[in-house]
Amino acid sequence: MLKLTIDGTEVQVAPGTNLVEAAATIGIDIPTYCYHPGLSVVGQCRICFVEVEGMPRLVTACSTEARDGMVVLTASPRVKDARAAVMEFLLENHPLDCPVCDQAGECFLQDYSVEHGLDTTHMVDIRRTFPGLERRLIGPHVVQNQNRCIHCTRCVRFTQEISETHDLTMKSRGNHSYIDTFDGGPFDNPWSACAADVCPVGALTVKEFRFRARVWHLEDTESICPGCSIGCNVTVGHLDREVHRFLPRHNAEVNGWWMCDYGRCLAQGIEERDVARPAARSGGELRPIAWSEAVPMLVELLQSRPAARVVASANLSNEVLYLVKKVLVGQLGLEVVVPVDRGRPRRIKNGHGQWIDSVDAHPNSGGARLLGLPLVDAGQLARFVGAANGPLLMLDERAHPWLASDEAAATLAARTVAVFARCETVLTRSASLLLPAASWVETEGTYTSSTGRVQLARAAFTPGAQAWPAWRLLHGLQAALGIPSDPDARPERLFAELTATVPAFTGMTYRGLARQPGLPVAAEVSDVG
Amino acid sequence: MEPILLRARGTKNSRSIAAYRSAGGYRAIAKALKMEPAAVIAEVKASGLRGRGGAGFPTGVKWGFVPKDSPKPKYLICNADESEPGTFKDREIIHVDPHMLIEGIAISSHAIGANVAYIYIRGEFHAEALMLEAAIAEAAGAGFLGKNILGSGFDLEVHVHRGAGAYICGEETALIESLEGKRGLPRLKPPFPAVVGLFGCPTVVNNVETLACVPHILERGGAWYAAIGTERSTGPKLFSVSGHVNRPGVYEVAMGVSFREIIDGLCGGVRGGRALKAFIPGGSSCPVLPADKVDIGCDFESVAAAGSMLGSGGLIVMDETVDMVWALENLLTFYAHESCGQCTPCREGSDWALDVVRRIRRGFGRPQDLETLERIARFASQGMTICPLGDAFCEPIKSFLKHFGHEFEAAIAAAQPLPAAKTPVLPLRSGHGWYGS
Repeated sequence: MLKLTIDGTEVQVAPGTNLVEAAATIGIDIPTYCYHPGLSVVGQCRICFVEVEGMPRLVTACSTEARDGMVVLTASPRVKDARAAVMEFLLENHPLDCPVCDQAGECFLQDYSVEHGLDTTHMVDIRRTFPGLERRLIGPHVVQNQNRCIHCTRCVRFTQEISETHDLTMKSRGNHSYIDTFDGGPFDNPWSACAADVCPVGALTVKEFRFRARVWHLEDTESICPGCSIGCNVTVGHLDREVHRFLPRHNAEVNGWWMCDYGRCLAQGIEERDVARPAARSGGELRPIAWSEAVPMLVELLQSRPAARVVASANLSNEVLYLVKKVLVGQLGLEVVVPVDRGRPRRIKNGHGQWIDSVDAHPNSGGARLLGLPLVDAGQLARFVGAANGPLLMLDERAHPWLASDEAAATLAARTVAVFARCETVLTRSASLLLPAASWVETEGTYTSSTGRVQLARAAFTPGAQAWPAWRLLHGLQAALGIPSDPDARPERLFAELTATVPAFTGMTYRGLARQPGLPVAAEVSDVG
Repeated sequence: MEPILLRARGTKNSRSIAAYRSAGGYRAIAKALKMEPAAVIAEVKASGLRGRGGAGFPTGVKWGFVPKDSPKPKYLICNADESEPGTFKDREIIHVDPHMLIEGIAISSHAIGANVAYIYIRGEFHAEALMLEAAIAEAAGAGFLGKNILGSGFDLEVHVHRGAGAYICGEETALIESLEGKRGLPRLKPPFPAVVGLFGCPTVVNNVETLACVPHILERGGAWYAAIGTERSTGPKLFSVSGHVNRPGVYEVAMGVSFREIIDGLCGGVRGGRALKAFIPGGSSCPVLPADKVDIGCDFESVAAAGSMLGSGGLIVMDETVDMVWALENLLTFYAHESCGQCTPCREGSDWALDVVRRIRRGFGRPQDLETLERIARFASQGMTICPLGDAFCEPIKSFLKHFGHEFEAAIAAAQPLPAAKTPVLPLRSGHGWYGS
């Protein structure tokens, strides 16, 4: 470890640490634009100047490695003057259109202008503009406003170093250089919106989120992306029970600072629901009922002969799958399968620069596997459903794309099916008993990723309408069946029960998961096979 | 002083290998190849040769920075980008005596252990690139390049690479990026090219004139070379003189002769018998000096003491008719166009300063503008940017304001006030932002 002094405080850092990171360890925030911890260092925005004793000139903190005995000043008069000058240079041609800029509120120009800038400008001349590049959709998800660009090249480096697609580049030269795709074609790599994430200003914004909300009104909830088995860490931005966006949340082991556009777009409508209240079919019509009626009906269905079969889902949390195993398999002795769809292959680069590939399209096939539930593919699922003599319980209307197929509709048409669902599908239209399920963002739970990490997703808000989270349904069943159960059940306590009974989860605590970016499980999680 | 670098100027077929050899060429390479590389470096150190590209860094010391024990190949790059306005001396060497440069490249490559050398030549020098290619073919045919040169076991390939016309590619790390096939953007230093240069390998970048001095040093000895010029600025120096003189052109002088000697003696004085107003001693990025400094010596130390830089020896002479506001606008137009756009202060500052000076010249200056210019010049130079292009446009601003500030003040005093309600009002740019459009 190296010892250096920053603003009079002694700091110990590992060799190779730059001064931005070294200062951050003692809570000193050195402003940066072009520097991003996940990208290479170019040292070109010049805002991170610091003074180092013994060096005649100011140095850029991002490109200067800490050395033993270094004495660094981050707020000397020289440094303050230089930063104010760089801020003035950056704002000289910036359109200052903050009221109509979607980056406002999370814009580094705004923040550092307050902290480090002048309260006036010497600029009276005409500002540089880029006609035609002002509100341009450069790809399916990214909108460019070149007038706001501060030429930090983070987006260019993102496409070079992270997505490795090399699609963005800086064209022309000097004050008139601008960002464009290399070949002039659409900017459509699978992670394109991350270029807008790394943009420190409003030059690149995400189409899906633009003007939906002012970011300072949003509430943030830490969650996991439900899109595939990788389990990218996300922040759910929501307001008044409406989800507005997913943003990648840093986790060096899983998704680094990134997420794919597919996962990001899952935020659109993720909380919307068609199924608002329990309903039972009588005389061919679905008739609304109360939960107090629905649970006994479900108990009756599950206890009927011939025995009911259950289709669980790899989209459900570890706790829910644990209750499935304990109650439905253990207590009622039902046959349960967890359908797994391989989905389209997805990949993300983690914080160490390694690609992680998805193994299937579900966030928790790893948990189902660790719990010993049988995983099935489309063919096996069709046979399982087709061979059912008794009623069926579907715990997730979107457990597998096969469930939305005509074949499934034909197979299920003549059967008694209870469906726990949020959206209307083929399944819900023929359901005998329809139960409203909480959406992903309304459910708290832990999920086991394909890389074997157990990760916690928080609920952004309570379930809407009369929806129940799946754990509550299964817990309600327990009570109705007269099985002794935890009267104070909630995900945290269910997880504790799970860790006490399933060896793979031994030693984990909910608090530990909240603190750490996911704990690796003891057992190996392998492919569907 | 006897002509050294330009000794063949005016002779017939001076570019041919026969003419070069009959003047004593390619004897130094034979001598150098029998010497240890360290001895060659020592000889160059003893000569006191300093880089002729602008910075004046001692060449032998630069060569000494190349790590001896590196397992990687080493490269020598001859910087023939010569893009500084007012500078055209390297072109003269290539025109007159390309074999002198090639021999210098061969000796220098031997000294640093490079087996591949590149001549990075600016794109506009098409004819010169062809001259160099012809000379390289001749030299290879005569066994001075290629495999096992003169039986010494030393191999050397020399490639000519044409740039695409960017000023910034004369900066050595931008040159290396460009040579690697990338955008010509200066690199962060450290690491310096001597350690991590072309393709990540140790690399020395030397100017054409610097390398052309090397055969003479090897042939006639470092002490002989050191005796020319002043104590710390040794050797002959080419000055490319442009502007208001009667005989502009490239002149070879011993370091230390006065600028008056160059302007009045060699160049035949200021045109039309007018009075000298100012001169820029070393290419357009060097601070301008007023006429009363014309008696200083043309060596690194004297020019620095007078508040400017010897730079590349591009002497720009301005007579009393020159409007200094116009002159600064002219320079800033160039630098605003040539800023690579990486660093904030240079990218934004060069264009901003140009806007301000242009506005002053068009009669819409404001008293605060000089403060703005000074502020831009202060905060875009002196290490505020990765490469010295920040200094290149700021030093002219500072020196023009220092020596000729009264002309700017006069232009501002004569200015119409800007209508307060709708500033700015000028059609400074024609509608949209691209330069020149």
